[in-house]
Amino acid sequence: MSHGQNFSRRDFIKISSIFLAGSAAVTTATGHAFSGADDQVGDEGSRVVYSFCEHCFWRCGIAAHVRDGKVYKITGSEHHPLSQGKLCPRGTGGTGLLYDPDRLAHPLIRETKGGRQFYRKASWEEAISLVAEKLWNIKEEHGPGALAMLHHGYGVSFFKNMFSQIGVNKYAKPSYDLCCGPARQASVLTYGYPSDTPEGFDMKNSKYMIFFGTHFGENMHNTAVQEISDGIRNGAKIVVFDPRFSTLAGKAEHWLPIKPGTDIAMMQGLMHVLISENLYDKAFVEAHTVGFDELRDSVMEMTPEKVAEITEIPADAIRTIAREYAFHAPAAFVHSGRRTNWYGDALQRIRAIHILNALVGNFWMPGGVVAFKKFPLVQPPAAHEHPAYEKEAYSKYPFFPQDEPSNTITSHEIIEDTIAGNIKGLLIYGVNLPETMTLGRDKAIEAMKKAEFVVAVDVLPAEVTGYADVVLPECTYLERYDDLDNGRAFRTPFVALRQPAVAPMYDSKPGNEIAKMITEKWGIHGAFPPSVEKGLDRKLKLVGSSLAEIRKKGVLVMPETDLYRKPGESLNLKTPSGKVELASAQLKAAGFDAVPKYVPQPEAPAGFYRMLTGRKPMLTFGRTANNRFLGDLATAKENEVWVNNRIAEKHSLQNGEYVHLKNQNGVVSEFPVKVKVTQRIRTDAVYMVHGFGHTSAKLTWAYKRGASHNQLISRTDIDPAMGGVGFQNNFVTFIKEA
Amino acid sequence: MLATAVNEIVSTKLNPNVVPHLHIWEWHIPLYLFLGGIAGGLLVITSIMIVLKRKFGIGPRDEGNGCPCLAVRIGSILSPTLLGIGMLFLFLDLAHPLYVWAFYTTVQPTSPMSAGSWILIAFFPLAILQAMLVNKRQLRDFNIEIVNKVIDWTENHMTMVALVNAHIGVGIGIYTGILLSFFSARPLWSSSILGMLFLVSGISAAAALMLLLAPKDEKPVYSMIDANAIWIEIMTVGLFVLGGLTGSANSHGAMMHLITGDVNLAGMSYMFWFWGIFVAAGLVVPLLLEFLEAAGVHIRFPNVAPVMVLLGGLVLRFLIVFAGQTYHTFV
Amino acid sequence: MSNKKNYGMVIDTRVCVGCSACVYACKQENHVPEGYCRDWVVQETGGEYPKLTMENRSERCQHCDNAPCVTYCPTRASHYAEDGTVQVNRSLCTGCKACMAACPYDARFVHPEGFVDKCSLCQHRIEQGMETACVSICPTGSLNLVDFNNMDQKAKQLLSGKVVYRQKEHAGTEPSLHWISASNKPGA
Repeated sequence: MSHGQNFSRRDFIKISSIFLAGSAAVTTATGHAFSGADDQVGDEGSRVVYSFCEHCFWRCGIAAHVRDGKVYKITGSEHHPLSQGKLCPRGTGGTGLLYDPDRLAHPLIRETKGGRQFYRKASWEEAISLVAEKLWNIKEEHGPGALAMLHHGYGVSFFKNMFSQIGVNKYAKPSYDLCCGPARQASVLTYGYPSDTPEGFDMKNSKYMIFFGTHFGENMHNTAVQEISDGIRNGAKIVVFDPRFSTLAGKAEHWLPIKPGTDIAMMQGLMHVLISENLYDKAFVEAHTVGFDELRDSVMEMTPEKVAEITEIPADAIRTIAREYAFHAPAAFVHSGRRTNWYGDALQRIRAIHILNALVGNFWMPGGVVAFKKFPLVQPPAAHEHPAYEKEAYSKYPFFPQDEPSNTITSHEIIEDTIAGNIKGLLIYGVNLPETMTLGRDKAIEAMKKAEFVVAVDVLPAEVTGYADVVLPECTYLERYDDLDNGRAFRTPFVALRQPAVAPMYDSKPGNEIAKMITEKWGIHGAFPPSVEKGLDRKLKLVGSSLAEIRKKGVLVMPETDLYRKPGESLNLKTPSGKVELASAQLKAAGFDAVPKYVPQPEAPAGFYRMLTGRKPMLTFGRTANNRFLGDLATAKENEVWVNNRIAEKHSLQNGEYVHLKNQNGVVSEFPVKVKVTQRIRTDAVYMVHGFGHTSAKLTWAYKRGASHNQLISRTDIDPAMGGVGFQNNFVTFIKEA
Repeated sequence: MLATAVNEIVSTKLNPNVVPHLHIWEWHIPLYLFLGGIAGGLLVITSIMIVLKRKFGIGPRDEGNGCPCLAVRIGSILSPTLLGIGMLFLFLDLAHPLYVWAFYTTVQPTSPMSAGSWILIAFFPLAILQAMLVNKRQLRDFNIEIVNKVIDWTENHMTMVALVNAHIGVGIGIYTGILLSFFSARPLWSSSILGMLFLVSGISAAAALMLLLAPKDEKPVYSMIDANAIWIEIMTVGLFVLGGLTGSANSHGAMMHLITGDVNLAGMSYMFWFWGIFVAAGLVVPLLLEFLEAAGVHIRFPNVAPVMVLLGGLVLRFLIVFAGQTYHTFV
Repeated sequence: MSNKKNYGMVIDTRVCVGCSACVYACKQENHVPEGYCRDWVVQETGGEYPKLTMENRSERCQHCDNAPCVTYCPTRASHYAEDGTVQVNRSLCTGCKACMAACPYDARFVHPEGFVDKCSLCQHRIEQGMETACVSICPTGSLNLVDFNNMDQKAKQLLSGKVVYRQKEHAGTEPSLHWISASNKPGA
C-alpha cells in the first residue's frame, strides 16, 4: 500500500477547485438552469418524475419537471399524502443543489508530500479499493466495534447493509440526539409507541393548539403547516409559549414570552390548574392512565403564582390558558414540537406535554392526539438480519431506543469514543460534523483528527470533507434511487419511491452503487440485489405492486385509517401498564423522576444573553447552506442576531450593524453577524438561525455568510436518560466592530 | 393590515433599482430635463426677442436685413442642439434602446412619455426653421439650393414662426416638470407646480446662458430677464415647498425628505444640496449679484452669476429626480 | 355569470407564514433571473412588547383595473389582457421605466434582457385552466386565484364576514388583490 502515511494527525484540507464541478464555464452554464435565460414558460415538451424530497427529514413527495435532460422546476406531488400538491420553499430548491457549481465532481484521496497534505483526484476503482482495504483492516485488527457510521439522509440504508456484512453496527444519526430522540422516547415511555413524522396531532380538526417554543412556519414542515392552516381557517385558537415572537406566535391568540428554560414549570402550573380546578377529564384519567396520584402530588405546590415567578408569565394568564384548554378539549392539544432538545431535560419536558394531553382526555380523539399509521411493507425476516452484529444497541443511555436498526448509539458517544481511541474508522454520510450541534465544533474536529481513517460520502465540499482521507462524491437525490420510504405515518398510510429525474452529473455515483462496490471489494457478493431497480421491484412485488407501477405516481397510498378511539374501548398500549403512564415506573426504576419536575437552568453571566436558535423557512441548516437558488432572497442571504431594543440600547447597537459574538467561554464568532434590533424577543435572550457562518471556502455561496451558531456552543447538556444533547445553556455578548 | 402601528417590516424582495428604494433613473434623466429646460427657455427667449424686435425698448438691436442680434442667433441654434443632446441621454437611459421606434407606433395621450415623444417631434422642425431664419444671411453664403428655397418660402413669416415657437418653448419647459408630476405614486413629484418650477428654472438658465454668450452691449437685456426669472423661480420654489409641507402626510414627508433629508448625494446631504447649493448659490446669490450689477455696482467677475444659475438649475433637476425616487411610494 | 374573466387573488394573511414557497415557485415557473423576483413576502410586526401583532403577506403585481402602468406606458407594451390581468408585451417595451415610476406597489423591475417585467398571474397557466405557480405550491392555502366576474362558492365563503382590504385603495388603482386581514379574530 503506497498510502502508508500516518494520518492520525489530520489537517483540514481545502479541496482544490479543480476537483469540483465549478470551473467558471460550468458555473455559468449551470447557473442558468435555475436563473433561466430562455423565454419559454410553461411545461411543453417536459416530463414529470415523481420522487420524494431530501431537503429535510419530512420527505414530501415532489414532482421534478424535466426538459432537455434538465430539472427546471420542482413542485409538490399531488399524489403524495405529505405534500398534496404543495411544497415548502426548500423543496423547490432541489435545482439549486443539483446544479450547485461547487459540487464534488470526483473521488478524492488525501496525500502527503513534503509535509504538505492535499487531495488528489482518484478513480472510483482506486478510491473504493482504498476505502475497502482500510475499513477491512481496522475490522480485522480491532474488531467491528472500531468502525462506526454517522449518517443523515435517506441513502443510508445501503451503507448500513454494507457495514452489517462485516458485523459493524455502530450507527448514529445526530438528528436523534438533537431533534427527534426525546420526543420519540417520551412517547414510548408515556404511550408505549414512538412519536412519528408528522407528529401525531389532529391539527386540522383542533380548536385549541398550544405550542411550546416550536415554530411551525419557520420550520416549514409542509404537512404540519397545511394542517395548522386548515385549523386556523376552521376557527382554531393558537397559544404559543416562546421567548421570541415567532411567526407562529404571530398567529396566536395568546403569545406568552416565557423565560427560557422554564417550560417544565409552566407545564406543571397548567397541570396544577387543571387538577386543582377539576378541569381534567376524570373518566379518561381513571380508565386509561396510571400514576395520577403521584402526578397530582408533584404539582400540588406549583401554583400559578409560584409558576409565574419562575416563568415570568402572569398567574392569571396561566389560569386562563388552562381553563380555555380544558374548555376546548378534547379538540385541543399541547404540541410536542420538533427539535426542542435544549437543556438535556427534553425527555421529561415532552413527557410533561404528553401528560398535559392525557389530562384533558384528548388521546385518540378528534382534534387531539392521534397515532397515524405506516404503510405495512413486508420486510424480509427481521429478527437477526445481521447475525454478525456484536450488539443491537451500544448506547450507554438506559432509555436509548433498542429497536431502531439505523440508530444504535448516540452521535456524541461516537465522537467521545473516537477521541478516546476506541473507534478507529469513521464513515460519515451526509453529516457536516463540524457544523452539527452534537458536541460543538471543536470536539467534532478533534474526533476526526484522531480517527485512523475517515471516509466522507457527500454531495458538496462541506467542512467535513476537509477532514476525510477519502471523499466519495455522491450524486444528489434527484439523480438516484434510494430505498422505499414507508417511514412516514399519516392519515392515509403510504410508501414512496425515490427515483432519478436525471442521470448522475460529473463523476458522482448513487449511494447504493458506492456501498455495493465497497462490499464487493470485500469479496462479499449477493448482499445487494443485482440492481437497485430489481431490489425495489422485489420489495414492491411482496405487497402486490411493482417498480413500474410506483414509478408513475411515486407513491402507493392506502385508504384513510380511523384515528379515533371508541367509547368504552380499551387502549391496549404497549407500556408496562397497558395504559398512558402519567408516572413512569420504568423511569423510576432507573433512578429518574417518575413525573416531570422543574429544575432551574443556569442563568446568564452579567452582560450575556442566552443564545436561542431556530431556522429560516427557506433553509434547512447545512442541507441548504450553499444553495444559491434558495439563498437568493433578501432574507435568506445571512443570519442575523436578534437583540431586544432595550438591550441594543444598553450595548449601543444599531439595527443593521455587524458585531462579533463572544460566548461565556470566550469563544468569539469567526465572522461578524448583523444585528436585528427588535421587540420580538425577551431581554434575556438573543436568537440566531443555525447553519450559517461556513468556513469552507469551497462552499462559494455559504462561505463567510453570517455567523456560525455551532461555533458558539461550548457547553452541552446531555439527557442522562435517553442521551439527547441540549445546547441552549450557552450565552453570548457582543463585540462591536472597531 | 395590522390593528396597531407597524414597527418592523421584513421583506424578501430583491429587484435591483427597486429595493431598497427606486433608482430607475440615474444621471441621464436629470441631465435630459436640464437640457430640455434650457432648450425650452432658449426658444421662449429668442422667439420673444424676434417678435418684440425693438418694441418696448427692450429688444436687442436689429442688425439690418431682418437678422437679429448675435445672442438670439446663437440661442436659436443652441435650443434644438441642446434638446437633441438631451434626447440622446434619454435614449441611452432606455433599457432597450433599439425598441425606441415603439414610441412612434402609437399616440398615448394619457402617457406623459408618449405625449413628450410627440411634442419633441413637433419641436424640431420649427425650432430648426427659426435657427435657419435668424442665421439666413450666413446660410445663404453656403448657397445650398434647398436651404435657400426654405428661407425664400418662410422668411416673411419669421414673426409667425417665432410666435408659435414661444408657445412650444413654454410647452417644453412645462413638460420637463410635469413629466414627473404625472407619477402620483411618487409623492415628491406629484405636484403640478413642478411644471412651473422647471419652466422658470429653464428660462432663467437659458437667460444665464445667453448672458454668457451675448456681446457686451446685449448683456443687460439678458441680465434683466434672468433676474426676473430667478425672482419668479424663488417664488415658485417657495410655493413648491409650501405645497408639499401643507399637503398630506405623504407629501409632507416627501418634501421634508428633500429639504431636510440626510440622504447622501455625491458626498453631501439633500438638505445641503437644496438649501446651500440650489437655493443659496443657485438663486439668491446670483440674484443679488445681478441686482447689484444693474444698480451700477462694479462686479469683478460678471460671468460668475450666470454660471451659478446654470449650476443651480442642474442641481435642481438632479435633486428632484433623485429625492423623488429615494422617498417611498405613495402610501 | 359573465363570459369575460376578471382574474385576481384573495390572499388569506391569517394563515400565511411567509415561507416564500410562492417566490421560489414563481422564479422557477417564469424563469425569473437570479437577483430578481416577481412576487415577494412581507412580514409586518406592530404594537409594543409583549402585545405584538403580525401579518405575513405574499405580494405581487396587483393587476389593477385602473392601472397607472398602463396609463403611463408610451408604447402600449403594458396593457390590459382579456382576462382582466395586466400584462407586458416584451416586444413593445423600450424600458423607459415610466411604468415603474407609476406603480404605487413597486411591483415591476427591469429584466436584465432589457424589458420591464412583473407578475403575469401565470397567464400561460391560467389559459390552460391551471392555477398560478404560487397558488399551486402554497402550503398554507393562503393564496387563492379568483375570477371576480364569476366568484365560486369557496371564494365567497372565504371573503364573507371578514375584515378584507385592498392595498392603497385611495390611489384609485382598483387593485385586484384582496387581502383577508390578519387582524381577524379566530373563527371570523
